[in-house]
Amino acid sequence: MSTINLTQPSAARATFMSAGSGLSFTGLLKSESIKLWSLRSTYWTYSLVVVAALGIGVLMSFALSATAGFDPATGAPMPIDNAQIFVIASTSGLVLGQLIVAVLGVLSISGEYSSGMIKSTLTAVPNRLPALWAKVIVLFAFTVLIGLVSVVGSFLVAVPRLAVEDITASLFDVDVLLPLLGNVLFLALIAVFAVGIGAIVRSSAGGIATVLGIVLLLPTVVGLFSLAVEWVNDIVPYLFTVAGSEMVYPNTMESWQAFLVVMAWVVVSLGAAALLLKRRDA
Amino acid sequence: MIQAQSLTKHYGSKTAVDAVDFTVQPGKVTGFLGPNGAGKSTTMRMIVGLDQPSAGSVIVNGKPYHEHKAPLREVGVLLDAKAVHTGRSAYNHLRAMAATHNIPTSRVHEVINLTGLESVARKRVGGFSLGMGQRLGIAAALLGDPATLILDEPVNGLDPEGVQWVRKLTKQLAAQGRTVLLSSHLMSEMALTADHIIVLGRGRVIADASVADLIASAAQNTVRVRTPHTAALAALLAQEDVTITNAEQDVLEISGLTVNEIGDRAAAAQISLHELSAVSASLEDAYMKLTQNEVEYRTGDTHAEAEVAR
Repeated sequence: MSTINLTQPSAARATFMSAGSGLSFTGLLKSESIKLWSLRSTYWTYSLVVVAALGIGVLMSFALSATAGFDPATGAPMPIDNAQIFVIASTSGLVLGQLIVAVLGVLSISGEYSSGMIKSTLTAVPNRLPALWAKVIVLFAFTVLIGLVSVVGSFLVAVPRLAVEDITASLFDVDVLLPLLGNVLFLALIAVFAVGIGAIVRSSAGGIATVLGIVLLLPTVVGLFSLAVEWVNDIVPYLFTVAGSEMVYPNTMESWQAFLVVMAWVVVSLGAAALLLKRRDA
Repeated sequence: MIQAQSLTKHYGSKTAVDAVDFTVQPGKVTGFLGPNGAGKSTTMRMIVGLDQPSAGSVIVNGKPYHEHKAPLREVGVLLDAKAVHTGRSAYNHLRAMAATHNIPTSRVHEVINLTGLESVARKRVGGFSLGMGQRLGIAAALLGDPATLILDEPVNGLDPEGVQWVRKLTKQLAAQGRTVLLSSHLMSEMALTADHIIVLGRGRVIADASVADLIASAAQNTVRVRTPHTAALAALLAQEDVTITNAEQDVLEISGLTVNEIGDRAAAAQISLHELSAVSASLEDAYMKLTQNEVEYRTGDTHAEAEVAR
């Protein structure tokens, strides 16, 4: 018969050993999606992306059907095919979405710094970089999803209006589908690029200003300079937003070249972010 | 177990932590004391890898913190109440933290119940009081059921019930064989909670001893004597190593002699005593003495430095 020791001797203070599941990358992905979807701002920003895309899509389908086949500047007849009209109708609103996801990307990391959350994140993931990559992947994936909803939604709302003008196209026509996917890809890459900037700057205001400066202001400023200095014109295609648009509407370079330029911006942003995240004290 | 070796942190030209060596043992509550700016928080941040040491090293449970496969199961840390996104609910914060280590949601509910956050768990952290924020921080620290706990000012902002709860909890966790490192400025609370004390001053370890030893070595016990013949008694007892202060009328505070010695000598000299009692020093007295020495050290009194080093 066994006896039960009611009073534990004090020597029983053996060192406590930890046990149980450990850090895993799938866990980090889950953690980052919980983080993303447990903030109201995520719902707001993503809703705005879709609403802007659909709203502007509807407006564009009216404007396009009225001016289709004419150069809006000169009024001269201009060859424009149905697929192209649908692409313009489906993606014009995404330009606004680009600015919105840029802000979301910055906030997804700068918000951690301003609130102190980053300390919790980095004590859970002391090697740090996996936390950054998980955040990037999660934001990329959900932005692709929201981008798809936006362009497909815009396409569908444009269909009945354009049908009135006898303009029809299939969503699965390569000339429609590829440009739409290209726009969605660039939208998600902007979000990812913005995460890098947010991690470098570590402040919401500074990060948003930097990203919007690069996305919105830089093409204009460089464009102005190119009026005075001719060679500046040559760097215009290498600007982030210009290359992003060349991915879909190749002009001075091939689509794949433009894609590489866009990726270069993203890699530099994330690379610098990773380096600084690893080096700096949190 | 936490082991620091020549752990050093410079911020520009300022040295926040200056080559400290210490070991925090499992099975005990170790109090981490020191004036503001002594380097306690910086040391704690270096233990969990938030700050890189400028020199030296610190290991937790046998390894540098970042080499552990399950960091949250090794170390639970409360650095300050504001390590949470204010727009997120307490529940979602804990869920996101738990997900990194695949800790089940049942454990999230467990720590919410344990810290008494049930009623506010679904509310956004931005609206939390300081005390609620502390409870959430403690809940997050306990999430991985860690072998080592590092709590920076855990009772800051807690109500008396909460203070008592933290005291019981930390003692209980230490009794289970965990390592508990606790900082606080509440000396009376620390005296009740801690078994061992490490005192930092100006980035250096100025004391590392059990609570009893610390009090005994740093603060002298005094004897309080009430007598109408203070002058006669003072003259009688005056000798080297004895300090006598006239605390109030008819009362002397004497250090360097025991109650027995004073009573016997007074009786032999036929001096009547109305009160004779030993006044034992508190942790606060010891702490004040130690850190006051630290002030002397700061002004460059080498004698005081030698005292401290001893």
